[in-house]
Amino acid sequence: MSAPFSCHRRRFLQWVGGALVWLGLERLATDRRVAAATRGPESDYAWAVLVDLTRCTGCNRCALACKTANRLPNPEQVPTGLDSGAYSFVAEYKVAGDSADAASVFVKRQCMHCLHPACASACTVGALRKTAEGPVVYDAAKCIGCRYCQYACPFGVPTYDWQNPLGLIHKCELCRERLAENEKPACVDACPTGALQFGRRRDLLRQARARIRSNPDRYVAHIYGEHEAGGTSVLYLSSVPFADLGFPALPDAAVPEVAEAVMKQTPTVAFTVATLATALHFVMKRRTAANHH
Amino acid sequence: MITAMTTLRRAVPAFLFGRDWPLLVSLAFLTLLGVLAGLARLVLGLGPTTGLSDAYPWGLWIGFDFLLIALSGAGFTMAAVGHILHIHSLHEAVRPAILTGLMGYVSVLLLLVLDLGRPDRFYHFILFWNVHSPLFEISWCVLLYTTVLLIETSPYLCERLGWTRPVRWFFKLITPITVIGVTLSTLHQSTLGTLYLNMPHRLHPLWYTPLLPPLFYVSSILAGFAVGLLSYRAAVRVAGRREKPEVVAGLAKGMAIVGAFYLALRVGEVVVAGKWPLLRPDQAMARLWWAEVGLGVIVPLLLWLWPRWRRWPLTTWLAPLLVIFGVGANRFNATWFAQTPPQGGTYWPHPLEWFSTLGILAAAALAWYVGIRLLVIFDSKTAHVS
Ligand code: SF4
Ligand code: SF4
Ligand code: SF4
Repeated sequence: MSAPFSCHRRRFLQWVGGALVWLGLERLATDRRVAAATRGPESDYAWAVLVDLTRCTGCNRCALACKTANRLPNPEQVPTGLDSGAYSFVAEYKVAGDSADAASVFVKRQCMHCLHPACASACTVGALRKTAEGPVVYDAAKCIGCRYCQYACPFGVPTYDWQNPLGLIHKCELCRERLAENEKPACVDACPTGALQFGRRRDLLRQARARIRSNPDRYVAHIYGEHEAGGTSVLYLSSVPFADLGFPALPDAAVPEVAEAVMKQTPTVAFTVATLATALHFVMKRRTAANHH
Repeated sequence: MITAMTTLRRAVPAFLFGRDWPLLVSLAFLTLLGVLAGLARLVLGLGPTTGLSDAYPWGLWIGFDFLLIALSGAGFTMAAVGHILHIHSLHEAVRPAILTGLMGYVSVLLLLVLDLGRPDRFYHFILFWNVHSPLFEISWCVLLYTTVLLIETSPYLCERLGWTRPVRWFFKLITPITVIGVTLSTLHQSTLGTLYLNMPHRLHPLWYTPLLPPLFYVSSILAGFAVGLLSYRAAVRVAGRREKPEVVAGLAKGMAIVGAFYLALRVGEVVVAGKWPLLRPDQAMARLWWAEVGLGVIVPLLLWLWPRWRRWPLTTWLAPLLVIFGVGANRFNATWFAQTPPQGGTYWPHPLEWFSTLGILAAAALAWYVGIRLLVIFDSKTAHVS
């Protein structure tokens, strides 16, 4: 092997090695940040929204403000579901309740901004990510449109732009741009009744508990999102059981916990299989050779 | 080089005008339809050309992807049989199976191009990493393993062309290449099961289990033996050779052993997890499970275990076909029939999804046929060196 070639090769190897170390460190740092944001006390201080369904009149101003804030088409048209043109909508449930005002219950829906989001864990290229500030954000420049996030989300939130030949994923990002400018999310800002409240998750949980305590007849004793699917940054209070309002009954464990535990075993599995296969090769080769003689 | 060209030239009319031409022309026709359907999808987008929706973002293509990956388990299964377990009596079946595996993986890549929302960014998983994501790991393994398959099949061509030097190199490295292929396959075949562990809210409990990764792995080996068997039987016919009964019997035995193990895992999981009340056949999901496991695992096992049925000439075709049906049904149930979207809704594939899928399968079959005719599949003068 000639000298310049080996020199080039060393340079190349150094470069590759450096890139790998950098990638690894980068990975570790993000993991730490995300872990701290989701599982540590930091999530208490992350931004959150409290939705008090007993205060919602179904005026739909939040859903329209959301369209405007996200520059979505037809900002005057009230959306009836989540899709690539509506990141939030207000669902109406007819509930035969015993209290007089319980004819209709309105439920504003959007991304729940899970503390340990399945969409982000599943995303092939890491286009979805939980930030320390609270929002689960989306990097449209990375997304390959595989749509795995749509399967992983237990709330059916991410939507795909089916009419676009180069379609992408669409979902609420908790108005990340407005938050960066110290503004409240557009939907919260637009709400005239105080059904939507913006604040630190810990403070909102405290408030929600206080409301249930002082008005036990008005609320069911459950803050949806406090523990569901590992906890979410959007929290709900209601006068009727959440199961009647289309809220899925989810266990406290975060969705991606099982898959992540399995994925962690990848290097172990690879090493074990490679070793066993090699060992088996030598044993079997010797045995068949012996049989031939 | 000159000999290579003359062999090629002599082989071409042999298959063009051979007795199989009606089959080949139909395959070419299906391929053409598939190309047109695929182009329509790429130009118009997924909305107008598929039945997919936010409730069912994956459909026929993903179902076939996962089915084809499982069936192409023939590649690593038979490579291991030949070059790790060194079962010499089955050596004839190794090359046809690896060629089938390569066709399967290439089909998967083509289907993925159609399925990805941004096919122009298919390489993004190389740049942007998410080590938690099963799909990230699967993407890497499929890329690397397809490369391994290309290396594994390269001597079939080199031997035909008389290039002895690369072939000799290949056989020096055959053990590490096989080990790498088996390792990569173990990873992604099982991770296809892990993929569903992120969907407990959508997948019916008869299919959702933490045991999904080993179940997917074992069933890919099961499918690997079935496809290895059929590939061999088809290849000897295409190549105009005599079939060796001991090869068929050996592969059927492998299929039965893995099938029994898979059945034990599958039933054991349902029993240990206390899910057996879900198997009462008055529920639609239970019937789906019985169709999959009964027809796809239990019946082929019985066919093989019962000496009378085993001697029945149809069995050696029927048993592997049923196994393929069972593994396919498993993948389709997991992605489609046993799923309930949180927002409700249904899915039925658009005709263009069928055409493009059939087109890709037809192209793969055509390429496989040509490969069996033109490449060195049987009678390798160098293979025995290993
Ligand atoms: S609600 Fe769905 S999309 Fe939103 S963060 Fe949770 S998993 Fe992701
Ligand atoms: S569709 Fe985009 S955001 Fe969703 S999982 Fe795939 S790459 Fe990630
Ligand atoms: S936070 Fe912003 S994007 Fe999310 S629902 Fe409210 S207005 Fe829409």
